[in-house]
Amino acid sequence: MKFIKYISAAFLLVALVSCKPKTKSMQVPVVGFVDAFEDATISQARTGFTDALKKNGFSEEKKTVQIEYSNAQGDIPTLTQIVNHFVSDNVDLLATCTTLSTVTALQKTKTIPVFAMVSPTPERMKVLDANGKGPANLLGALEELNYIDTSFTIIPKLLKPKEAKLVIGMIYNQSEPQSADALERIKSLAAKLNVEIIALPLNTSADAQLVTQSLLNKNIDAFFANPDNTVFASFETIQKNCDQKNVPIFTSEAGLVKRGAVAAFGADIYLWGYQAGEQAAQYLKTHKTDGIKAEMVKIRKRVYNPAAAKKYNIIIPPNFEPVK
Amino acid sequence: MDFYLTALLQGLCFSAIALGIYISMKIFNIPDITTDGSYTLGGVVTAVLLTNHQPAYVILPAVVLAGATAGALTGIIHTKLKINALLAGILVMTALYSVNLSILGRSNLPLINLPSLFTLINIAADPNQNTFWILAAFVIVITLMMGYLLKTDFGIAMRATGNSESMIRALGVNTDRMKIMGLALANALTALSGYLVAQFQGFADISMGIGIVIVGLGSVIIAETLINWFKITSVWLSLALVLAGAVIFQLVLALTLSAGVDPKLLKIVTAGFVLAIVSLPRLSLLRSS
Repeated sequence: MKFIKYISAAFLLVALVSCKPKTKSMQVPVVGFVDAFEDATISQARTGFTDALKKNGFSEEKKTVQIEYSNAQGDIPTLTQIVNHFVSDNVDLLATCTTLSTVTALQKTKTIPVFAMVSPTPERMKVLDANGKGPANLLGALEELNYIDTSFTIIPKLLKPKEAKLVIGMIYNQSEPQSADALERIKSLAAKLNVEIIALPLNTSADAQLVTQSLLNKNIDAFFANPDNTVFASFETIQKNCDQKNVPIFTSEAGLVKRGAVAAFGADIYLWGYQAGEQAAQYLKTHKTDGIKAEMVKIRKRVYNPAAAKKYNIIIPPNFEPVK
Repeated sequence: MDFYLTALLQGLCFSAIALGIYISMKIFNIPDITTDGSYTLGGVVTAVLLTNHQPAYVILPAVVLAGATAGALTGIIHTKLKINALLAGILVMTALYSVNLSILGRSNLPLINLPSLFTLINIAADPNQNTFWILAAFVIVITLMMGYLLKTDFGIAMRATGNSESMIRALGVNTDRMKIMGLALANALTALSGYLVAQFQGFADISMGIGIVIVGLGSVIIAETLINWFKITSVWLSLALVLAGAVIFQLVLALTLSAGVDPKLLKIVTAGFVLAIVSLPRLSLLRSS
């Protein structure tokens, strides 16, 4: 039975080693960074955010700022606790990545400024008050749906339909507000452009293979990958299946073009985080929110993937830049 | 201390789900997977009725009724169609996703600037303390009702159904009906947890129920450990321990968070802490034997 004792001792050791020393000094501002889940593309926002702070003289290495990072790994009760923890620690500011983190933070604090990234506007999140105003402490970089128009309207310009009408397949995530909203918007756009949309819900990345195949069997001309969490997680599956059927993928986020989509016009997740980080740095310098407000994402890029464009013989307009 | 108070509040919000899982475990000896769906259902019904400015005395019965319907459905599928209880739960949970999405109309509904159960009465100036008093009263009332119910003839028959079905059927009890009613009760409690949590965290989300059965199970297993350790036979104490289990489960998470554990190791450390709690009695038993 000594074995069990050893196990518990070993576990305690691991737990102790994995603890970071919590030194709270009064001079150094503390940033609480809230992430809702693990994702390689989404995590670029955090890199952008910290880079922007660094550039403005707030770096963890130089001990000029303390960035407390927590990730709920997709668990909402944990997310609530993380936000509560930061609020009761009275961090100087909260940085929230993706919609769910932002909504949770806005519910839990009305005073600590929340610098949001990879999140939609207050109307999309449904956090407006009775006067139609967003929460006063919501700052950072937000996104409207307008950008989708540009992303989507390039498809008919670049592709010739196989038959009379261009058919575009699309997947969306029912568990994300912006994804379902984007679908509605694209449907109304498609009606104007004389394009047919076939949309299927994909709520877990486990179903990606099945749903993509089912779309491809409907003889689509192109695939529009609406950037949401399930698409980010299962993009390689989607791409592999589309490649086999020679169906090009279009999207509205630069990171997915790097991973094999043909072209996109949209925000770059890294720069999105960077923009929120610049605002946060300004706040840390003055400790006043004067002159800082929630803004739209500034930099949207027109990018294309040269390899994918060549494969499908698509001539890309000159105002698009190749993705690095 | 404020942070641990919020963790305690979250634990109290989950105490109803722990009671629900406790009942379904007692009846079936397996967890009822409907939980994931009925918990979200409770939150969703709450959010929709709150945004439509319905009074509290309408919302509460509606939530209980919705949860009970989901549970009864699982019970009916299991008993009348002779489907394995685990699968019956999975089926109802899967179907509830669409139901929840239809009711909510979107995937996430914030309840910002809306009155809730926790703003109904102002006992303390601090909102967290106020929430605590209201929650505590709410949970105590539920527990008293549950304890009373389990002590009635009906409750005893229900508990006995889990212990020995053939014996209780020989005594003339309709075990099918017992199971359906027991599951309805368990899921009504689960929906109540969804009701409390939606108001506590300030939004209802379509994915809030994913993996929530684990929270309930963890709480019940912590409680079961203590019940076996102290050889408790009293219903009241057992229920109190189930509540304690739910609170401990959330406090463990809080402890892990405030220790500043690397986010990558958050889950393993939480699991380890719970393992330590559950295995402690075993270790001491081993030493004494």
